[in-house]
Amino acid sequence: MKPAVFSYLDPRTVEEALDALGEHGDDASVLAGGQSLVPLLNMRLARPEVVIDINRVPGLDASRVEAAAVRVGALVRAATVEKDPALADALPVLADAVRHIAHPQIRNRTTIGGNVAHADPSSELPAVLAALDGAVVLRSAGGERTVGWEEFFVSVFTTAREPEELVTEVVFPVRPELEFRWTEFARHHGDFPVAGVCLGLDVEDGVVRAARLAATGVGDRPVRLREAEAALSGAALGAETARAVGELARRAVDPPSDVHGSGDFRRAVLATLVRRTIDTWPDRSQRGQRGTAA
Amino acid sequence: MKAETREVTISVNGREMTRRTEVRTLLSDFLRHELGLTGTHVGCEHGVCGACTVLVDGVPMRSCLALAVQADGAAVETVEGLAPEGELSQMQQAMRDEHGLQCGFCTPGILMSMLAAERAGVSCAEACGDVLGGHVCRCTGYQGIRAAVRRRWAALPAARGEETPA
Amino acid sequence: MNRLVGARVARINDPRLLTGRGTYVDDISLPGMLHAVMVRASIAHGRVTRFDATEALADEDVHAVITPEQAMARTHELPLVWLAPEQRHTRVPVATDEVRYVGQPLGVVVADTRASAEDALDVIDVGYDELDAVVDAEAALADDAPLLYPEWGTNVVASYDIGDTGEEIEPVFAGAARVVERRLHVQRLAVNPIEPRGLVAQWDAGTEALTVWISTQVSHHIRDHLAIVLGLRADQVRVIARDVGGGFGCKEHLYADEALACLAAMTTGRPVKWIEDRGEHFGATFHARDVVHRARLALDEDGRFLAIHSDILGNCGAHASNVGTGPFRISSIMLPGPYRFERAGTTIRGVVTTTTPTGAMRGFGMQEASWVRERLVDEAARELGVDPVELRLRNMLEPGDLPYDTRTYQRYDSGDYPEALRRVGAEIEKRSRPSEGRIRRGIGVATHVEFTGLGPSKTQQLVGFHLGGFETGVVRVEPDGSVLVSSGVVGMGQGIETTLAQLAAEQLHVPMSAVRVRLGDTATAPYSASGSIASRSMVVGGGAVVRAGARLHERLVRIAAHRLEADPGDIEVEEGVFSVKGVPGSSLTLAEVAERAWLGWNLPPGERADLEEKDVHDPENVSYSYAAHAAAVAVDLDTGQVRVEDYWLVHDAGTVVNPMIADGQVVGGVAHGIGIALHEEMRYDPAGQPITTSYLDYVMPTAEDIPDMDVSHMCTPAPHIPGGMKGLGEGGTILSPVTVGNAVAAAVPEIAERLVETPLSPSRMWTLMHEAGLHDETGLDDETGLDDDDPTSKE
Repeated sequence: MKPAVFSYLDPRTVEEALDALGEHGDDASVLAGGQSLVPLLNMRLARPEVVIDINRVPGLDASRVEAAAVRVGALVRAATVEKDPALADALPVLADAVRHIAHPQIRNRTTIGGNVAHADPSSELPAVLAALDGAVVLRSAGGERTVGWEEFFVSVFTTAREPEELVTEVVFPVRPELEFRWTEFARHHGDFPVAGVCLGLDVEDGVVRAARLAATGVGDRPVRLREAEAALSGAALGAETARAVGELARRAVDPPSDVHGSGDFRRAVLATLVRRTIDTWPDRSQRGQRGTAA
Repeated sequence: MKAETREVTISVNGREMTRRTEVRTLLSDFLRHELGLTGTHVGCEHGVCGACTVLVDGVPMRSCLALAVQADGAAVETVEGLAPEGELSQMQQAMRDEHGLQCGFCTPGILMSMLAAERAGVSCAEACGDVLGGHVCRCTGYQGIRAAVRRRWAALPAARGEETPA
Repeated sequence: MNRLVGARVARINDPRLLTGRGTYVDDISLPGMLHAVMVRASIAHGRVTRFDATEALADEDVHAVITPEQAMARTHELPLVWLAPEQRHTRVPVATDEVRYVGQPLGVVVADTRASAEDALDVIDVGYDELDAVVDAEAALADDAPLLYPEWGTNVVASYDIGDTGEEIEPVFAGAARVVERRLHVQRLAVNPIEPRGLVAQWDAGTEALTVWISTQVSHHIRDHLAIVLGLRADQVRVIARDVGGGFGCKEHLYADEALACLAAMTTGRPVKWIEDRGEHFGATFHARDVVHRARLALDEDGRFLAIHSDILGNCGAHASNVGTGPFRISSIMLPGPYRFERAGTTIRGVVTTTTPTGAMRGFGMQEASWVRERLVDEAARELGVDPVELRLRNMLEPGDLPYDTRTYQRYDSGDYPEALRRVGAEIEKRSRPSEGRIRRGIGVATHVEFTGLGPSKTQQLVGFHLGGFETGVVRVEPDGSVLVSSGVVGMGQGIETTLAQLAAEQLHVPMSAVRVRLGDTATAPYSASGSIASRSMVVGGGAVVRAGARLHERLVRIAAHRLEADPGDIEVEEGVFSVKGVPGSSLTLAEVAERAWLGWNLPPGERADLEEKDVHDPENVSYSYAAHAAAVAVDLDTGQVRVEDYWLVHDAGTVVNPMIADGQVVGGVAHGIGIALHEEMRYDPAGQPITTSYLDYVMPTAEDIPDMDVSHMCTPAPHIPGGMKGLGEGGTILSPVTVGNAVAAAVPEIAERLVETPLSPSRMWTLMHEAGLHDETGLDDETGLDDDDPTSKE
């Protein structure tokens, strides 16, 4: 289990990185945190001719909290997101979701850009991005573009990133009218979840005024559960709504079966997560006390 | 195809060492086979078992998921640095007292994770939970390891030892 | 006198392991060493038609490629150890062009580095004529199943009966008031010590000697079989086990790939290292379990057990492993457990399939037997409406019944089985917690008797196990008074160095610090055929050290008495100082006694000069440990997740030499078993490709799965073992899966009848509960979460 031969480039500027990608894009892998790429290299499931290590590129490891969005640099580590008070203040659900990614030893290396670019269908951040209607900033020597999550996530491990493009930033819109929660079910804390949901609600006097709901682990990419969102809007919080919306979520997905369970099992877990998240939704008066995961 | 090589300089446990190595060499293999520091163990090479955990610039990470070239210029701490004078560190001693190891293969990684946790001021509960969760031990059933962590945390100056998870 | 036996003594090898100064096999590096990787079969079944290494050999980093043809020409067949009656093969080739499982070694690449060897592997072109795969044992019995060995005309490698069968037992079932019958299955498992297998082999052409450092539980056995397959004399092979990063059964014989790596060293004339990687481990290291039991328990109208029987269908994998159908046999002989039965027996069929062979793993056969028996007993209790503890006590052997001859040829030795269960049962009430909403809670118990300390060579002969069952202990006091203990057993984390030192130090009345224990090297260790398997190191190996130490102590006392001009009966020994009772100032240190003794001076008449005693311990019987376990679980009805919230047990392993180590063995064993109960499963697709080949798919138990548990010991000495020890390395693993299973059944009685196979993973649990009607998808069921305390209220 040792990587096949590759050439190693460690550009020192974004421009150098983009030049390297421009030259080798089709045959290159971008090495950021390496927590997904290096296992694939070790198993020789990934055999890039060139590894472009962006860890020494300055400027990619900063986050900016703006009025409309939190913009997280591609090289920002999961552990940093977890501990950054400014991010926690602006978008607490991000840290909540990140804490479910593996364990500290991994999160110290995992990068937000790498996690999103890897597009694992069971990963947390893509679903957070979906719930928030976030986007990914891609740069190439030819310019920069911002791609919405729906266009970005194409399929299992497949994104809209062109070979010469580098993920430089991940944009998580701040939606202050909504409160978001991350809930997931995994075999162990830190394992890839069987299913996970990111739910955002605007609740007043026990009635949902607006809702956003996205899920991971239940398809080949993150999904927005728009029918469930529609059913939530205007509904009174409570067991009945929770059940009905959970059921809508279940019917909206058709995940494949794998070694961790059947598609039906994953759908049922999704329904349970949705139901329980709504069921345990804190009243406005208790805002700030986030509930626990299932 | 001939493997590309580079010169890599790493400060390991305070000693600077330079070797020319293939760019594909994993940090774990560099430490073990090029520097001869075999205390860091390799159990799965895909980042799950945690036996290879070392500190790079103070941060615990899987040395099987980093390339040696990436650590060029960095300060690496390994299990060999924990008891430089031969006397066991408090965590090592706690592991011995509480029977926190059997075959000892996963132990170095756990010791390094706990060293970082101790320095970072994490709670005993978190050390026994999220931090230990990043390690697989086939021998002990984790009970002795948790007991060792509790013993060590109880001896920490702050009140961090108070939380004692079941 | 210092009491070391029974003391919580710190382990003597911990400091080196804690400081990174251990020597595991991959830590060994020799000048000029090359690296081997195995060329492994990528298909499940077929014949190799092409093996082209031309491109690989063109690389200057590559020193050799051994093809299947060359390997076949240079190796002899590997003898199998445990042979069933009329087993259809008794030896297997180290190399063959006939492929019967993915991962089967075909050849070897040797290169300058591991990575360059893997580069070469990439360009070796192997072609196959492919045949159909058969993965499942039941499918392998079908008339149209592909045959692995067409010359047999069947896939059954061996079949035989144990205990009462046919007309002896069927009338009992026919006449019973109640028969509980289930088809039970224990899944295929990968063993997964955290240190994979591996070796470094060095061929010295001058002395024509092969030295092999290897991660193993059985140095001498490896040596003997290496000599056979490589065509060497035993004295040409030296095998050394240094620190071993866990064994758990999978390192208890010589694998074909290990022999091929040694062949590579002999071929190249250079030292060769081969280290199994984790991906390989899932296909190359023998698996365990994978067995189906169609089992029945007969009871009379008073709930008394009459008979137990199981039809066992075991999946042996591609060929009978070194232990072959042994696990199914051990399941059979231990099926009755701690209960009285008028009749008990099994039928065994071992079947070959196109999968990795199955062999030994912690709990060998007994974990399966416990799963079968204790599930049936719990089901009987549920059907009868009797408390499961009460039903067990009603049928349990009492202390006065021991020694007891079972219907399956065992003579249980000593103990108080009901007392262990009563103690565990007494805790149930105070530890039980209520169900809450969709979280159900329940407590389960289980009990067993365990076959430990594999021994009596005569028993091993009787059952066709072609290894000696004895152990030899050598205890020597050196001229400076230091003590050296040598044994053929191997340390692999179980703490045997420490416990053997405790035994020797106690016998010799010296401090622990005076004792060094040397294990694992065939050049220095006494011969051990069976090595560290079957919970025998302490029982059989320790017994030898006790006797050798005692004899040496008697001699030292005689020598000291002679020097002190006293009667041996008047000599007192404390911390290595010999003194005459009531004569102050008259004393000799052990060093003073030893120095003269090794000179041969001042010896009493008839006394030998050397201070070394050797004892060969071939016990008259195995020793029978036993235990009662209880688990409290929480089951999430909607996600299927099972959490073990509490665990407690009472275990009797005879004399406990070191309670700290004993607890660690038991707790670690339980954790392994909780992994079996909840997570671990080695799976194949229908084409015979393994699909759980990393820790992302093969789920190992982690810290959050394992609660802190309470372990207490009863210490009924084994009457026939010097020192009184019984084995304790496996008991935790044997009983915890079914204890958890029974707890889940108590928590969710709606699915109890169908709790017949592990792992009780979320998906399996969810499916069972779904099919039991515990989910309502219309969203209309009442789930207020307020009225679910009574788990039966929903029925």
